[in-house]
Amino acid sequence: MATSGEEKPVMIVGIDESEQSTYALEWTLDRFFAPYAPNFPFKLIIVHAKPNAVASVGLAGPGTAEVVPYVDADLKHTAVKVIEKAKGLCQTKSVHGAMIEVFEGDARNVLCEVVDKHHASLLVVGSHGYGAIKRAVLGSVSDYCAHHAHCSVMIVKKPKIKV
Amino acid sequence: MADNHATAALKTSTVEKQPETTEAEAPRVMTRTKRMMVAIDESDSSFYALQWVIDHFSDLLMTTETAEAEGDLLTVVHVQSQFYHFAAFPAGPGGATAVYASTAMIESVKKAQQEASAALLSRALQMCRAKQIRAETLVLEGDAKDMICQAVEQMHVDLLVVGSRGLGKIKRAFLGSVSDYCAQHASCPILIVRPPKEITK
Repeated sequence: MATSGEEKPVMIVGIDESEQSTYALEWTLDRFFAPYAPNFPFKLIIVHAKPNAVASVGLAGPGTAEVVPYVDADLKHTAVKVIEKAKGLCQTKSVHGAMIEVFEGDARNVLCEVVDKHHASLLVVGSHGYGAIKRAVLGSVSDYCAHHAHCSVMIVKKPKIKV
Repeated sequence: MADNHATAALKTSTVEKQPETTEAEAPRVMTRTKRMMVAIDESDSSFYALQWVIDHFSDLLMTTETAEAEGDLLTVVHVQSQFYHFAAFPAGPGGATAVYASTAMIESVKKAQQEASAALLSRALQMCRAKQIRAETLVLEGDAKDMICQAVEQMHVDLLVVGSRGLGKIKRAFLGSVSDYCAQHASCPILIVRPPKEITK
């Protein structure tokens, strides 16, 4: 897997609007891309999974039908912000040639599908650092990807500053 | 008093260097050598993980030719399972006298363990040498998950790499998964390398 430029291994970074995934993207750029400019060892693809508006609202009862367009607009707005932030980070670190993709759907499935689509060698995700209970209730995307993705998975956690 | 404060401040500044990647960090100069740790045991998947790291990160790792300042340091760690000296051995004809293992037995088991881990580590080092990557080895004793997380903290590891046996959900719950535990509790980013037969390329 030499960096001869013909077939660079693909690295996918999954991001959402949380601080942890911004940190994960920054860490990845610093560690694997910035020092090696312009000959990067990996081909970088940044993926954002926009949650489906209908799925997030759920069937909570009467009146939800009116809320859906607002939720949808808000989610689109968030997605745009996330993309802008990612682009900004790449610019700051002088990392060019990164692809940014947005898909709609549940983050777990989206990330695993993208890995298959691009035959990625590495998937990078942040971690919200949930405890055991939150994890059981909310589900952990990083956990799911670590078990189900068809490539190696790197989970980047924001270090807790120990006082 | 002042000394303690100074060293404490120094420590926090080096630890916080990672999150503070906002402005004027000049990423070109790596002032601190980064450390990558790969955990191995007897399983094939952990050696596959080591090979994967060597293949993909060969540019980042310190080679035998480059100067000390460039590249990252690769540490290969093997955790030996603890041998409990007071394990209940089947009582021989002597009955209660066989409860404590004799020192000779302890010695021989320890020696066998050491030889096994030496063999594993030398195999690992050979793999590194084949790609001319400089690596150091480390042997720890105890429960794998705890020792690995402890080592990560003490040695300020930047990236922990573990293999994955590819256990299903149920097996994982019963047998316990080192990679799962480390993913949740290690204080640094973790890379889980999946075994090849599950990769549909």
